[in-house]
Amino acid sequence: MKQIIVPGEVVSQSQARMDNAYVENGKTYSKVMGLYDEEHKSVIPLEGPWKPRIDDAVIGIVSEEKNKVYEVDLGFFGRTLLIVGKFDRESYKVGDIIEATIKDIEDRKTIILTRARPLEGGTVLAVKPAKVARVIGKANTMVKQISEAAKTYIIVGMNGMIWMRGGNIALATEAIRKIEAEAHISGLTERIRLMLEQNKGS
Amino acid sequence: MGSSENKPELVINGKRTDGRDFDEMRPFSIKANVLKNADGSCYVEWGNNRILAAVYGPKEVMPRHMMEPDRAIIKCRYAMAPFSSLSDHGRTGPNRRAIEISKVIKEVFENVVVLREYPASEIDIFIEVLQGDGGTRAAGITAAAVALANAGIQMRDLPYAISVGRIGEHIAIDFNMIEDNYSDSDMPMAIAPRNGEILLLQMDGGLDRAQVSKALQMAIDAGKVISKAQSDALREVYGNAAGV
Repeated sequence: MKQIIVPGEVVSQSQARMDNAYVENGKTYSKVMGLYDEEHKSVIPLEGPWKPRIDDAVIGIVSEEKNKVYEVDLGFFGRTLLIVGKFDRESYKVGDIIEATIKDIEDRKTIILTRARPLEGGTVLAVKPAKVARVIGKANTMVKQISEAAKTYIIVGMNGMIWMRGGNIALATEAIRKIEAEAHISGLTERIRLMLEQNKGS
Repeated sequence: MGSSENKPELVINGKRTDGRDFDEMRPFSIKANVLKNADGSCYVEWGNNRILAAVYGPKEVMPRHMMEPDRAIIKCRYAMAPFSSLSDHGRTGPNRRAIEISKVIKEVFENVVVLREYPASEIDIFIEVLQGDGGTRAAGITAAAVALANAGIQMRDLPYAISVGRIGEHIAIDFNMIEDNYSDSDMPMAIAPRNGEILLLQMDGGLDRAQVSKALQMAIDAGKVISKAQSDALREVYGNAAGV
């Protein structure tokens, strides 16, 4: 059973350690607009900015180039730098789509990327960062399901950017938008499966 | 404050000028997520007030020197549209009154937003009064709180605000423009409903000790209704679906 909660709402009458919540006077309160999952005792945010973590796989667009140091647009408010090392392809152009891993976060506002690789062609779709987990699904089930039905190659970046190539991109986009809009309603996987099946026939 | 000469009659047959009881608020409605470009937004109709609030952020701090390395800064812009009111708000841009209100609203939210979650960043709050009829700063705070929650900003509470005051011997709530100008005392306040913390308290005119506690109690009682409307507006965005 999940219920919608607002900031300052009591989630537990006792002290409980969970993300997106805080304890005061022996009670636990939510800090965000989100869902409270009673079974797993967790607060899942419904909105909110992306919080970068080291080792996150992200997708971005090269926005600036200076002496082999590239600035990448990840939709994050701080700066994102890619410093080309010996394991990376030598050069990128402004406008190239890349997939990379976060190596380090300096002062919590400058992201350093590593292990970059270019993504040739395809399109990028941005979703709300809070919904990325649902787009991926448990053990990649959701993205695999869309990928198979639309015959599209899909890579999901933790920053909310999704790269797609080939197959029925329109169908894949529709499915991802549906997930974004209905992520908080239960039975999502089943509804997406039905939607994909119906559209495959037509 | 209007002049005490040609003061209109504020109490007629035990009712207020617009027919309300002393402890009765104007009808209001709150709607969240009304602007697509903003990270969070809210539209409030409060009596004749029409107020739009939008929240952007966290984003890069501009200008750079205002940056705090360990926490976010909040910027707030309260503005009345040139067409918002009968009295003189004809010029665009902030005036002395708007700068003051922006400052006090900023301080309200500095005390509820979890600033340390967003180091070296900036959160922008915009409150635009499209039509004003008294109590716009209170309605603006109520709207901005909803917009912040709608943007997914971490907050310890969802504050609300309301004005209380005195008309002659009567303690009353939610003043409209005429009462605001000619009443004996007017006290807008913002409260965090979770622990009753007072985040904003300003006062024109005078109240004695007993009157203050009566006014405070009235604000807290009204707050239950406002808080419910705020959280209902936020739930409404997700179709009230209590995902099973």
